[in-house]
Amino acid sequence: MESPRIQKVIAVLWPSFLTAGGATVLFFTAFDPTEFLITTRFADLSRLGAYTIGFFLFWILTSGSCLLTCYFQRPCNGH
Amino acid sequence: MSKEQNVAIEDELYAKREKIYPRQVSGVFASLRLSGVLGLLGIYYLFPWFNWDGRQAVLFDLPARKFYIFDLVFWPQDFFYLALLLIIAALSLFFFTALAGRLWCGYACPQTVWTEVFLWIDRKVEGDRSKAMKLDKAPWTANKIIRKSIKHVLWIVFSLFTGYTFVGWFTPIDELTTTLINLEAGPWETFWVFFYGSATYLNAGWMREQVCIYMCPYARFQSAMFDKDTLIISYDEERGEPRGSRKKNIDPKEKGLGDCIDCTLCKQVCPTGIDIRDGLQYQCIGCAACVDVCNSVMDKMGYERGLVRYTTEHSLQGKAAHVLRTRIIVYAVLLVVLLVGLIYAIGQRIPLELDIIRDRNSLYRTTESGLVENIYTLKVINMDELDHTYHLSISGLQGASLITRTTDVKVEAGAVMELPVRVSIDPYKLKQTSTELQFHLQSIDKQDLSIVETGRFIGPVTR
Repeated sequence: MESPRIQKVIAVLWPSFLTAGGATVLFFTAFDPTEFLITTRFADLSRLGAYTIGFFLFWILTSGSCLLTCYFQRPCNGH
Repeated sequence: MSKEQNVAIEDELYAKREKIYPRQVSGVFASLRLSGVLGLLGIYYLFPWFNWDGRQAVLFDLPARKFYIFDLVFWPQDFFYLALLLIIAALSLFFFTALAGRLWCGYACPQTVWTEVFLWIDRKVEGDRSKAMKLDKAPWTANKIIRKSIKHVLWIVFSLFTGYTFVGWFTPIDELTTTLINLEAGPWETFWVFFYGSATYLNAGWMREQVCIYMCPYARFQSAMFDKDTLIISYDEERGEPRGSRKKNIDPKEKGLGDCIDCTLCKQVCPTGIDIRDGLQYQCIGCAACVDVCNSVMDKMGYERGLVRYTTEHSLQGKAAHVLRTRIIVYAVLLVVLLVGLIYAIGQRIPLELDIIRDRNSLYRTTESGLVENIYTLKVINMDELDHTYHLSISGLQGASLITRTTDVKVEAGAVMELPVRVSIDPYKLKQTSTELQFHLQSIDKQDLSIVETGRFIGPVTR
């Protein structure tokens, strides 16, 4: 049975939000953004800015993976 | 979960959500929940304002990469403690779930706590259940528009204040307040005030019980921690059925009725809109509102309390209830061990860190006098709140000498010092290409403040 759209949207955006949060904590615990950005054009970006952008990049990444999972859940025969 | 239940859930999602108007309830568990809510909100909104030693007492200072918890200062290098703390938190969730069911959901979850506040605003502005339902059904009169606007303005103000406090846990709240008032706050701080504020507004204002039912991972897996001795809220079917309304002074047995008078108050107070008399349901967050309201009805009828009560599956079946079960004991022992471990580890923590970074450009070099030399950068991190001078020495490599501009390294409180050093040795004394050597740092002013880290010395072996 096809699950409703809202459930799919939540299934993509919500777990990816949680894992992106975890990934952000782990990543920025290990790496200080001011250290690895100093040689780039983002040298003036504040740490809070780097954390924020990092979180949203992680979220895009993890929601991409959730999206693919949802996509592959569809039966491959049919159509 | 059976197939029929699955279908039911999906039907619910297809169906337009019916708005829930939980009726206000008073009683033992309502008071418990209120004290829980007030305590947690107190911690959340007041803690950032407490000062300790001239700084914010509890501050997870993300821009400075330091966590302050009263006297303790944690660095990213202390991640181990955070990991341990998270494991302890997860384990306590298991422990309390196995013991008393969804205590977390009913009393402590931020979703519950903030929803309670929003419901309180609703009731102040729109009135209790019946008045609010009437208002929603009524046409858009001036009164309705005014009441709805007031409600949303209050929701938004409270949400933004919540978002502002949230940021105040992670950046110094004094600075944040001044910059926000002067409209000079940094773009990222402002962003997070609004982001967290809108999340609060949406989750506690609009989504409410749907967060628990559709989004919460804990709600989905908590049943795995349940057993037949876990405390659940349950309706005593045997005693209550057959349900039916009756006059107060009538003997229900004469009419062939059970104790349930079918007043549906248990349904009206439920924040997730279920009927507890239908049995154990995954939507039940264990808030015990139905217990309170049913007890008050039983009192009025002159019946015994506890038609809806905290109980266990075993005692409902008339069997003995066991509090001490294997899983409870295992969880408890693990919890105690980890907690003691964490406290001990923090007590033994040395606020000094030494990172040894080898020169990346060359493995080794040979000096004019024929010695082999390795170059390192030592990163000395003084995580203490006092300045310290440390004596630097090496060991583990027979005949090696340490060449540095100073062996007494002074590092200010909370500072990182980078010190280039060289280690040289007569190649005839090298027994292997790669040898371990130890760098020692010993504080001059404090005997127990010392650290040893191992590095590698690389050089050609001459035979």
